Amino acid sequence: MESLRDIRQNIKAIKSTQQIMQTMKMISNARIRKAQDAMTAARPFATKMLEMVSDLTPEVLALPQPEDGRERWASRLFINHSADPNKIGLLVITADKGLTGSFNAVILRAAMRFIKEHEGQEIFVFAIGKKGRDFLSRLRLNNLHIVYESVGIFPKVSYAHAELLGEAVLKVFLEEQLASVTLIYNDFKSLASQHLVEQPILPFSPHAAHEKVIDREFSFEPGLLEIFKLMVPRLVKANMYRVLLESQAANLAATTSAMDAASKNAGEIADALGLKLNKVRQAGITNEILDIVNGAEALTN
Amino acid sequence: MPNKLKLNLITPQAQLLKDQEVDIVVLPALLGEMGILPGHIPVLVQLTYGELRYKQNGQESDFAVMGGFVEVKDDVVNVFAEGADLADEIDEEAESQKIKKAKDALSRKDADIDFELAEIELKQAITRMKVKQRKLG
Repeated sequence: MESLRDIRQNIKAIKSTQQIMQTMKMISNARIRKAQDAMTAARPFATKMLEMVSDLTPEVLALPQPEDGRERWASRLFINHSADPNKIGLLVITADKGLTGSFNAVILRAAMRFIKEHEGQEIFVFAIGKKGRDFLSRLRLNNLHIVYESVGIFPKVSYAHAELLGEAVLKVFLEEQLASVTLIYNDFKSLASQHLVEQPILPFSPHAAHEKVIDREFSFEPGLLEIFKLMVPRLVKANMYRVLLESQAANLAATTSAMDAASKNAGEIADALGLKLNKVRQAGITNEILDIVNGAEALTN
Repeated sequence: MPNKLKLNLITPQAQLLKDQEVDIVVLPALLGEMGILPGHIPVLVQLTYGELRYKQNGQESDFAVMGGFVEVKDDVVNVFAEGADLADEIDEEAESQKIKKAKDALSRKDADIDFELAEIELKQAITRMKVKQRKLG
């Protein structure tokens, strides 16, 4: 049987852990607000850019495509004539730290499944967040190439991070002639829930764009193709920014609820231990009384 | 013909102007400054680093913008800038320090990511300085 001292020590340890968890919860709770604001603020840019690019897509596709390669660059972002079907990209966004419930596990499981499904293919990985980076590099698979990694950017994501990431993705996509790039991350749904998103981000498919016939007569400065070429990377970056902010907020929300659950659990354990402590103490007292009574009886006899 | 333009200024970080009724917008287009008045034909313009000015009820305001695009249609001007700062809110002191810091980082040339960031930052700080100085006279 445990001694009273052991149990008391145990309770003390659990209570101090609980305190830490409560503090962590409070910190991420305070940060969520900011993360959410940043997310809402970033939304108009990304949606308007998408609208504009979608509007222009049919026009660009209607342009005669010269065969000198350079000009095809723009359309390659959509339909990919010359892509190598054996090369694909995977962008995984996880958190830097654990203690977030199943936040990272869900993403990594999905990533694992993706990797298994594409076993024979060369996969170019972009890893954001320490957890994902560590996990993927520990796999040591021959067909897995980590081409870009970025850790320690949460919870202070800035547009500069998105810019670097977007540039890296586009660069690898074009240079390695990837057939596609798939993104796996956790979307911020509400404070209480995140949901896993697995979506192809490149190439853009013209079908995804709303098929609106453009009747307005735009003029372009400098030219349609020149503008479009610059617009697509910008859209990609704006999207990266949105996604990073979503993950950031989702991660904070996950931390908050995980820490909340953990500190509740710790409270329960401390309560149970308190009961046990009382029982043990009571048992001790009963034993002592028994001893005394027995002793007294022995004397009278 | 309406005689006002509606101006929206959006950056990845935030929407800075929303449906502002203005009289004229002057943009830092890639091929030179470009003025937009009400009744302008629909146009899509690429921006460079520079100054965006607009006049609202006789009052002129300036922004330092960091490249991007402008879409003009139906007397609505949508500016998509990589970054934008209101000239009045630019702190010259801070900017000159940023310029110095970025230049320092560039002269060291060790870590490549820092290098890229520094280059962007330098360009932005210089743009802000220029806009601010023009505004002051």
